[in-house]
Amino acid sequence: MRRDGLFRRLVIAATVVWMAVFGVVPNLLVLGASVSHPSPTTFLSPGFTLGNYALLLDGIHAQILFSSLKLSAAVTAICFGLAYPFAALLARAGRRTRHVLLVLVVIPFWTNSLVRTYAMTVLLNTSGLVNRVLFALGLIDAPLTLLYTTGAVVAGLVYTLLPFMILPLYAALDRFDPRLEEAARDLGAGRFQVLWYIKLPLVLPGIITGCMLVFLPGLGMFYVADVLGGAKTMLVGNFIRDQFLVTRQWPLGAAASTLLTMIMIVLLLIYWWSQRRIHEGKLDV
Amino acid sequence: MKWLRRIYIAMVLGFLYIPLAVMVVYSFNASRFSMDWKGFSGEWYLQLWNNTGLLTAALNSLVVAVVSATLSTVLGTLIAFTLTRWRFPSRRVIGATLFVMMMSPDIVIAISLLVLFMLLGLPLGFGTLVLAHVTLCLPFVAIVVQGKLHGFDPVFIEAARDLGAGDFAVFRYIVVPLVTPAVLAGWLLSFTLSLDDVVISFFTTGPTFEVLPLRIYSMVRLGFKPEINALCTIMMAITSLAVIIAYRVFKEEK
Amino acid sequence: MMLRWLMVLIALLVSSSVLAAELYVYNWSEYMPDRILRDFQKETGIKVHMSTYDSNEAMYAKVKLLGAKGYDIVVPSTDYVARMIREGLLQPLDKSKLTNLHNLDPRLLGQSFDPTNTYSVPYMWGSTAIAINTQDPVAAQVRSLADLWKPELQGKLLLPNDMRGVIGLALKRMGRSLNERDPAVVAQACDLLPDVVRNVRLFDSDSPKQALLNREVAVAVLWNGEAFIASRENPAIQYIYPPEGFSLWIDNLCIPKNARNVEAAHRFIDYLLRPEVAARIAEEFTYSSPNIPARALLDPKVQASPVVYPPDDVLARGEFETDLGPATAAYEQCWMRIKTK
Repeated sequence: MRRDGLFRRLVIAATVVWMAVFGVVPNLLVLGASVSHPSPTTFLSPGFTLGNYALLLDGIHAQILFSSLKLSAAVTAICFGLAYPFAALLARAGRRTRHVLLVLVVIPFWTNSLVRTYAMTVLLNTSGLVNRVLFALGLIDAPLTLLYTTGAVVAGLVYTLLPFMILPLYAALDRFDPRLEEAARDLGAGRFQVLWYIKLPLVLPGIITGCMLVFLPGLGMFYVADVLGGAKTMLVGNFIRDQFLVTRQWPLGAAASTLLTMIMIVLLLIYWWSQRRIHEGKLDV
Repeated sequence: MKWLRRIYIAMVLGFLYIPLAVMVVYSFNASRFSMDWKGFSGEWYLQLWNNTGLLTAALNSLVVAVVSATLSTVLGTLIAFTLTRWRFPSRRVIGATLFVMMMSPDIVIAISLLVLFMLLGLPLGFGTLVLAHVTLCLPFVAIVVQGKLHGFDPVFIEAARDLGAGDFAVFRYIVVPLVTPAVLAGWLLSFTLSLDDVVISFFTTGPTFEVLPLRIYSMVRLGFKPEINALCTIMMAITSLAVIIAYRVFKEEK
Repeated sequence: MMLRWLMVLIALLVSSSVLAAELYVYNWSEYMPDRILRDFQKETGIKVHMSTYDSNEAMYAKVKLLGAKGYDIVVPSTDYVARMIREGLLQPLDKSKLTNLHNLDPRLLGQSFDPTNTYSVPYMWGSTAIAINTQDPVAAQVRSLADLWKPELQGKLLLPNDMRGVIGLALKRMGRSLNERDPAVVAQACDLLPDVVRNVRLFDSDSPKQALLNREVAVAVLWNGEAFIASRENPAIQYIYPPEGFSLWIDNLCIPKNARNVEAAHRFIDYLLRPEVAARIAEEFTYSSPNIPARALLDPKVQASPVVYPPDDVLARGEFETDLGPATAAYEQCWMRIKTK
């Protein structure tokens, strides 16, 4: 019996220590760095200032943040538009088809995402496949400028992140019982009412998860902007990377990172709220 | 209607696969620089064989993926077990932290670990990279396994307890076999995440241990490199094969 | 069982890296042929791992991050040599081990960034100027820095992904020094930049010749070595030294303070200073070689090219970048502004 107590205590201790060292402490360190003073020779000098946040929300930097947020929002919207019908079809398909399709969605992940981004450049360049097909179809008579544009960055992000939208949407739609819809219809609910009062609240957590899994990486994947955008488009990720690995302004980079964390926490709160709605009272299934 | 649906599914899958297919096709193209088809050739596979830098990096990536997937599966399963089985003060906090870690953007994880490693004075390399990847993967394993543990009937554990099994025995002989499919899924998920990662590797490894994405990053910045196509085709073939085998094994177990 | 295999694998990996002498070189991309590394290994048994960077800032930040450990050789340009010496990131070279030092052009030694060459020896030098593809009618008209501002060039221009390089264009256009320290002048130069950045298709300091050769761009501000290779592939590509002036640089072999394999690093540097080795490098990456006997071994076409070895009157218009000290902040502000438009 004593050995068991030891096992339990050891495991609990290991869990707590691991989570503290790798989950909590690093985030606190970044928070600490974000309020430190910048230093030209070392990475930062300890102290307390909100100057980095002020600098971050100042003209130039705020512009980077804002345009990156806009871009990522567009990517999220496109992914949602593409993924929702796909996930809905998937949830309705037969067992076998469903498994095959799910595996097909996952397989591209086994190729490193940088490689997939690089594959996009092969498609999009002046003499790439897209231009050739359009040319062959007679739709264009001079090659389009596709590579090194914001559009290419959006396409690249949608391409890498689409499965992250499909999977949670599928999971949510799969759990949704179609009999609920029928029941509501039988009780005289209209199409819109069914969608708004029955389906949306139940599928919402899945939608939010998908949006988080696309929106947040969409702010951070600096290599997509580098490879497809010709180093002209700056994501928050490029900004943070540059502060840490090029201009060495750790406090400013840490402030930007903290901002990302705060965005994430807001989204998480929305997620928890949407889940709680399901488990409480009137939406209980 | 049915046709429309099929076309839509085909379009989405096409979007996911055409770039990869183009890469596979071009890995057999004889031309070095141009996108024109200059005939079938195995040249780039030969070149790849001589490119030790690229091969070492690919091997390193696989090693890191296997090691960190294994470590995060062991730790993640333990943590999931701890959280579902025992009540202790920081339980809820840990559950929430896991979820936050899972959702954190890679870049945030990357720089926060970089700051941690700098503070601890750890030299960047294999060790730090594995720690970073375990940090990335562990929450996923823990949450997948936890889901499974929540699902199963506590009667099994109670019965074992009645028969005199201790905590360790319960874990070893009841919990582990019951959650094995979830654990395997967790391992596969971790392996994928590790292999797919660019951002975290970018910040947490050092010159002595180069992994594939970093190597490729410095190569693609220099334009079209057919060897990359060849390497990726090989890796895609190997991993798809592994997945298919794993999938078959899974199905038989069920 | 699986765990045991894993341990074996790890043990193998670890031991292989301990047994063989290995050298970690951090160099600019497209700057050292792989053959050189292989031949060096064949001769000495020392395996060379090379990783690459595309800007001095990135290299400096990485070396600093690693505490001047990890890499055995780095290749900073002029101004960064001075900066790294000042911050104690480099170690003095042991010249008794560099038997081929006498091959170097004395004109390139003893520069202000390291007057006694205690910490650095030149690897290559060169210029940054304008390459045009004359097949493009607009690009063919470009003769000076001022021409880069013409609105007709929209979407046809490549600029280096480098703060000093881009801001330097505006400074030179204003007739100022590349090393302007007055923040007001830098700000003035910065105000000129939006109009040229509007023309930019991409910023690239890795392999700008690719975009030029693929016709993604028609005009590029790039290094002479890249320009020469591009013109060899496509003779319509010409390299122009603008009348307003241009930037010159020397990239130098240095050993970081806490490098592990100092002995092998010296051997490698000495190997690179051999005339036949230097010649092979300068033939593949056609920058200007500081190695006098190597020049004689080069392809006569390379030797005679004004792109690779500009005549003295052209050189006189060039200027070396130096360390800016605190004025760097003004440049960084400006760079951030450009990159966000």
